[in-house]
Amino acid sequence: MTVTRRGFLKKGFVGGAILAGGGVLALMAAPGKRTRSPSGKLAVLSAYEYAIFSAAAARLVPGDGAPGWPSAEALQTADKLDALLAQLHPGAARDFKRLLHVFESAVTGLTSSGMPLPFTRCTPAQQDRRLQAWRHARVELLRSGYQAMKRLAHALYYSSPPTYERVGYPGPPVVPQSAP
Amino acid sequence: MSILSPGRIRDARLEPNLAVECDYAIVGSGAGGSVAAAVLAESGARVMVVEEGGHFTRRDFNMQEAWAYDALYQDHGNRATEDLSIVILQGRTVGGGTTVNWTSSFRTPDRTLALWASRHGLSGLDAAALAPHFAAVEARLSIREGDPDDVNANNRKLLEGARKLGWNPELIRRSVKGCARLGYCGMGCPLDAKQTAALTYIPDALAAGAHLFTNARAKLIETDRGRAKGVVCDVTVANSPRPKRFVVYARQGVLLAGGAINTPALLLRSKIVNASQALGQRTFLHPTVPLVSFYDEPIEGFYGAPQSVACHHFADRGERVGYFLETAPVHPMLSAVAFSGFGDAHRRTMERLAHAQATIALLIDGHHDDAGGRVRADPDDRIRIDYPLSPALREAAVDAIKNMARLQLAAGAREVVTLHEDPLVIRSEADLAQVDGAAFGPNRHTLFSAHQMGGAAMGNDRATSVVDGRGRHHELENLWVVDGSIFPTSLGVNPQLSIYAHARLFATEIARHH
Repeated sequence: MTVTRRGFLKKGFVGGAILAGGGVLALMAAPGKRTRSPSGKLAVLSAYEYAIFSAAAARLVPGDGAPGWPSAEALQTADKLDALLAQLHPGAARDFKRLLHVFESAVTGLTSSGMPLPFTRCTPAQQDRRLQAWRHARVELLRSGYQAMKRLAHALYYSSPPTYERVGYPGPPVVPQSAP
Repeated sequence: MSILSPGRIRDARLEPNLAVECDYAIVGSGAGGSVAAAVLAESGARVMVVEEGGHFTRRDFNMQEAWAYDALYQDHGNRATEDLSIVILQGRTVGGGTTVNWTSSFRTPDRTLALWASRHGLSGLDAAALAPHFAAVEARLSIREGDPDDVNANNRKLLEGARKLGWNPELIRRSVKGCARLGYCGMGCPLDAKQTAALTYIPDALAAGAHLFTNARAKLIETDRGRAKGVVCDVTVANSPRPKRFVVYARQGVLLAGGAINTPALLLRSKIVNASQALGQRTFLHPTVPLVSFYDEPIEGFYGAPQSVACHHFADRGERVGYFLETAPVHPMLSAVAFSGFGDAHRRTMERLAHAQATIALLIDGHHDDAGGRVRADPDDRIRIDYPLSPALREAAVDAIKNMARLQLAAGAREVVTLHEDPLVIRSEADLAQVDGAAFGPNRHTLFSAHQMGGAAMGNDRATSVVDGRGRHHELENLWVVDGSIFPTSLGVNPQLSIYAHARLFATEIARHH
């Protein structure tokens, strides 16, 4: 579920060009909206990267739109991502951070969904368009990047017990621990 | 040696910078490593097993996906092919895959053994040679005939649909004793009903004096003048910037059982490469295509024995790649990752979770011209897995989606939803034509693997294989591979029992000669 640096670099000209442009522009761009802040000290992500993943997770899970569902923020999805990345191979964590920068960049926004804005500054509808564009992209690299974010957000969100009731899952049965 | 208590599971983090000596060092404590450790220790040899994962018991198994995938799986549940097109579920704990598998137990099919003999030049490894080892393992793991009472609603739909269509479903033999059918095999059995390696062959090995060190990740095999000398492990210790070294020296030999993917990677890192370049090649995954069907009545696929029914009707499709059908448990996290889409569309699917049935088609890779995937090991210890989806595999996947949909409609499904990124909704036979036209490829459709095989294949020909038909490395005479990496193709059935039986055969022959 993680995206890898080599995976990101090897996918040919288009992917590489987006990556190069995205990298430079991501560095130049003013940080986007930082409406979400980490609940504690971050191990791997910067506050900027935390905000990007938080914004993506908010659109990937139902919490921001559906009544009764907890938000990704309420379940500390980005905090859990940071804790997970801290356990992975440092190279895998680096790749995922790099992906977040590329995803955020206005250049990628322009080339992938015609929206020359950082992801965190887009409206929710524009953000959904960006995610859809990556999901269905002809460039394999972008589809991999979408899946990395999608699977991590969904894994961290739906493995949280507060979502169980919403999906009709009563949770694990009670097992007597004194059993054989 | 006196500092070691005999026959115990020890945490290597409490013994960093240790160097120990034994007769046989074994890497990995799953199906292959556990039974080899037991056989060799019982023969009188001094055995030490190193396991990269931790030691967890039923008291730890809390049936929560958030804990289980993080604690018990490779890469904390995040292993995947390089392009992320195939999610790879693989155990990493004492007991290895057997601690987290879904208990399904099959002998290696005769047609697979025949293929290895005819196309991969493997002689002397037939059903007769393996039979006593299958029988012994089946007895130790309490594997008996499939039990109709094991069949939950999720599996019953597969059973009923396949029966209606005349596709000869069968009950699966399971490695359980006193199973309460909770449904959490994949997260560690909280009742110790699943007969894992950690409850069977590991205790046997410990009783015979073997030692098992946990949290010790095999980094390199040390060699000296054409012989394996020992295993160098990394031990990650809290508050230490670098891993500590932990070395097991082996007087007689080294056995590798870290599982397919990890074993070829360890050999590559150690630069123990054949002239043939076969190492790491022909890695097989049984690429697995899930399909979800929705029923009016609750299915509750999160409860009950996760796998109790299989259908091998399409295993042999002649010149085309075959596949077999089973089910997957329907827990929220695994399902959410598998279901395509996001936001409200994804939510609407998730809200029907209790009514969802999950059928899976496991593609039998490597039996035709498809060469499977490739494992690479980076200098910084990172493992890469490339797995191109060949046209032959795509054809099989598309055929499987159609037949799984037919089966579920026959079983009474209200609708079938494919896991394409543009999901198709199938309500009747007429809707099936859409499947042929749907985009299928990397990250166009959900795929996963719970079966990893190959990468250090058996064979008589040094040009195309890594070990011989008894697991012995072609170049290093005292190095053996005793895990799923040895299979020249995928098996066409769930692999745990085949790995146990092959490892038991190999270890028995090693013990006879030491």
